[in-house]
Amino acid sequence: MKRSHIALIVLIAFAIGAIIATTFDASTYVGFDKAEANLGKQYTVIGQLNKEKNMNYNPRANQFTFSAIDKNGIERLIIFNEPKPQDFERSEEITMTGYATDSAFIAEKILMKCPSKYNDNKGVAESENTYQ
Amino acid sequence: MEYIGEHTLLGNLGKLAVVVAFVAALVAAIANFIHTRNKDEQWLSLARIAFRVHGVAVLGIVVSLFGIIYNHYFEYSYAWEHSSKDLPVYYMISSFWEGQEGSFILWTFWHAVLGLILMRSAKSWEAPTMTIVSLVQIFLTSMLLGIYIFGVKIGSSPFTLLRELPDNLGMPWTKIADYLTNPQTADFFADGSGLNPLLQNYWMVIHPPTLFLGFASTLIPFAYAIAGLWTKRYNEWLKPAMPWAFFGVMILGTGILMGGAWAYEALSFGGFWAWDPVENSSLVPWLTFVGAAHLMLIQRNKGGTLLWAFFLNLLTFILILYSTFLTRSGVLGDTSVHAFVDLGLNGQLLVYLLFFVVLSLTLFIVRYKQIPRAKKEDDIWSREFWMFIGSLVLLISSFQITFTTSIPVLNKLNIVGVLNPIRSLFGLEKLENLAPPIEAIAHYNSWQVPFAIIITLLVAIGQYFNYKKTDFNKFIKKIGLSFIVSVLVTLGMAFLSGMTSNPIYIALLFSTIFAVIANLNYWISFLKGKWRFAGPSIAHIGFAMIMMGALISNGRQDVISENEEFIAKDFPQNENILLEQGDTVQMGDYFVTYTGRRTDKHNRYFTVDYFKLQQNGDLEKAFTLEPFIQINKQMGNVNEPSTKHYLDKDIYTHLTYADVQEKIDGKYSREATVELDKDGGQAIYEDNILTLDSITVDNVYNKLVLVSHITIAKTSGEKYQVKPVYILELENNIASHIDAKSEETNLRVRFNNVLTETGQMEIKVWKDTSEEKDFIVMKAIVFPYINILWIGSILLIIGTLIAMYNRIIKR
Repeated sequence: MKRSHIALIVLIAFAIGAIIATTFDASTYVGFDKAEANLGKQYTVIGQLNKEKNMNYNPRANQFTFSAIDKNGIERLIIFNEPKPQDFERSEEITMTGYATDSAFIAEKILMKCPSKYNDNKGVAESENTYQ
Repeated sequence: MEYIGEHTLLGNLGKLAVVVAFVAALVAAIANFIHTRNKDEQWLSLARIAFRVHGVAVLGIVVSLFGIIYNHYFEYSYAWEHSSKDLPVYYMISSFWEGQEGSFILWTFWHAVLGLILMRSAKSWEAPTMTIVSLVQIFLTSMLLGIYIFGVKIGSSPFTLLRELPDNLGMPWTKIADYLTNPQTADFFADGSGLNPLLQNYWMVIHPPTLFLGFASTLIPFAYAIAGLWTKRYNEWLKPAMPWAFFGVMILGTGILMGGAWAYEALSFGGFWAWDPVENSSLVPWLTFVGAAHLMLIQRNKGGTLLWAFFLNLLTFILILYSTFLTRSGVLGDTSVHAFVDLGLNGQLLVYLLFFVVLSLTLFIVRYKQIPRAKKEDDIWSREFWMFIGSLVLLISSFQITFTTSIPVLNKLNIVGVLNPIRSLFGLEKLENLAPPIEAIAHYNSWQVPFAIIITLLVAIGQYFNYKKTDFNKFIKKIGLSFIVSVLVTLGMAFLSGMTSNPIYIALLFSTIFAVIANLNYWISFLKGKWRFAGPSIAHIGFAMIMMGALISNGRQDVISENEEFIAKDFPQNENILLEQGDTVQMGDYFVTYTGRRTDKHNRYFTVDYFKLQQNGDLEKAFTLEPFIQINKQMGNVNEPSTKHYLDKDIYTHLTYADVQEKIDGKYSREATVELDKDGGQAIYEDNILTLDSITVDNVYNKLVLVSHITIAKTSGEKYQVKPVYILELENNIASHIDAKSEETNLRVRFNNVLTETGQMEIKVWKDTSEEKDFIVMKAIVFPYINILWIGSILLIIGTLIAMYNRIIKR
């Protein structure tokens, strides 16, 4: 067998290894119920901010709390031990990585999807409407 | 209808330039294609004229768009969205490429510049390579067309007026002819919404053009590779393409490192590299590009790797296109903080990507059998063998990064259908969908650190091998000293820095030190310190130092602001320290005092003095840092870091909280807005629980007077009553409030609004903070020896430049 063939086989082996390892490391998007079935285990939950409940940032404790509703409509209190992310109120969707406890979901990382700037324009233009 | 006061000249010029650029690229592509086939000189001259016209038109696009931004023509959506009047000229340049369209223009511009240079220098390769360059330009300029053909949107024009945006069509204000000066609407157009504050950083002036020049530079070796396959000159393309490959490796690498420098200086992410999908998608093509350049080197010197040289050059450009697709299609929205938003160009981007994938693949397969192969196996003790292995490792490394980064794309392709059977083999639960690894950095490091060890080891020994065959004893003799010195240095450093716990990190520390020492020794002892041949050694030293700097500064980073005073131990907020004004608090090796704040234009600076404890017990001031908050009404406030640079370490700090609201009556701040249900709603504000007991309604002289009865309960048990009042004048619907102040709790409560839809009341709460000391919450990280990384970056650039210069001389 040629050495370049061996190299190729090693290459493919590594590629397959990377794929398998990723399937081990990869997480999955779940709902709060799933996270709560396994308290303390890390999950990623996609949800929406419940704008009707209040959110509160306590600077002394550096703790931000808010309420989120996941895709199944389950609502939970979220505790995020970081300052409130920029433009949090405007978020359409929040990706929260963290774990559930019996009282709240402790988010360790938060990513937000904000409306695009073009939609923003629309908002401005609509408010312009009231000038008429 | 005639609109008054619109500056349509530049916009029309720009739109015209886009169309001219598009058509000229089309003509150039066709003419070059025909000339390649029939060698008719007339077609070649036509192609040259067409591409020059294309170049001028692209310049016209750039000038028009910049003119619109520079002159503050806010009737244009691009200027309105990305700039504002208060921006200095150098940030107007950043505004230019903040949006997708502008960055497409930048990319197109570099292609045009490189294309013009290629046209003059490619000689017999001109027509086939320029066919490819022109083809790419057709696609890129079509992204700027902004026209609809059979209801399909082709491109997004940066020269669109706000009133022409689809969302605004038919809006009443678009029917006002003098909407720019009409007092009803003029305010809106008086100023733009500004540049994202994160981008208001000098790195953002130079990082994007450098990165895009790097992207653009991958096109030329790609064009040569395609041309080589197409015209069946399988070997000859390497010679002219190589300087371009080295140039591209240098520029793209510089661009990526500048991005890291920006992240380190302007973002509060706490580092220069976070394996963010957007960062990854520019790193991956660089890795394959480096692999391609080395394979080209082998082929030129020894031969036998032609197939791979073709493959990696083609792959690099395709990965650039894939990276463009990832970052611009909006598909990364869930996983990255700085991907572009979707402009509705997904389909077009996909067509662009697939076109070149199919073109490359087809040509590669059709010509596969004809590409010359090695006549015999490489010797295992040869330079080419190990360079080849190195290139393969780079390929695997880029595959791993691409795979994990592509998870959002794979999700769309229903990858879980493939993965679940594999997972079930290992007894893992079934996944419904795939999310990126939670510990993303650990995930990437677990793969990339071993790859980095192999690569740096190869970098260390590579030059000690000869092409074809190396005498083993001579090899050992030559490299032995470097090896022994490196082992000793590694052991010394590992013990001094206390890095002995992680064997993988020690291995990387060793391999990087070995790479630096071996390459230095090779240059001094065997190349006699000649600058002309210094390129590879210096570039390799630079690369190894980048790895070393990243390892030490990250592996040994120390969050000195750790604070376990008030929170449960395993919560990450103990990485932040709370500093009250005037108090001196110990933080790591330092004592720090927050002395006060100052305002400079949009920025609020927070002065923090750092002291060192002297032998005699006195505190001596070491330095002052001023992390700041950029106040930005449109985009939200941004915390920006401040860093003290020492030769051997950086002390990097950024605020995580500071109250920057204007105080009401000079004493109330920390505003919070909460909604309460009419029947007994509760809200928590710091250590108070607010309960709505009842609302009483009165009608006095056409005024509706709502008095709310709110109980404030302290967590300590005391309860206090407040009665904020909401008054609505029924005639004109004007609301006013009488705020309630509670002396005992220091709160001020406003009955702000009645939410008729939900039947809730909205209240605003402030706290009297005038008695309270001002305080900030801050994070501080020490990055040791991060300068090794920056010095390495500069060496990598210098080394590659020398190598490129050497290649051009050799032509």
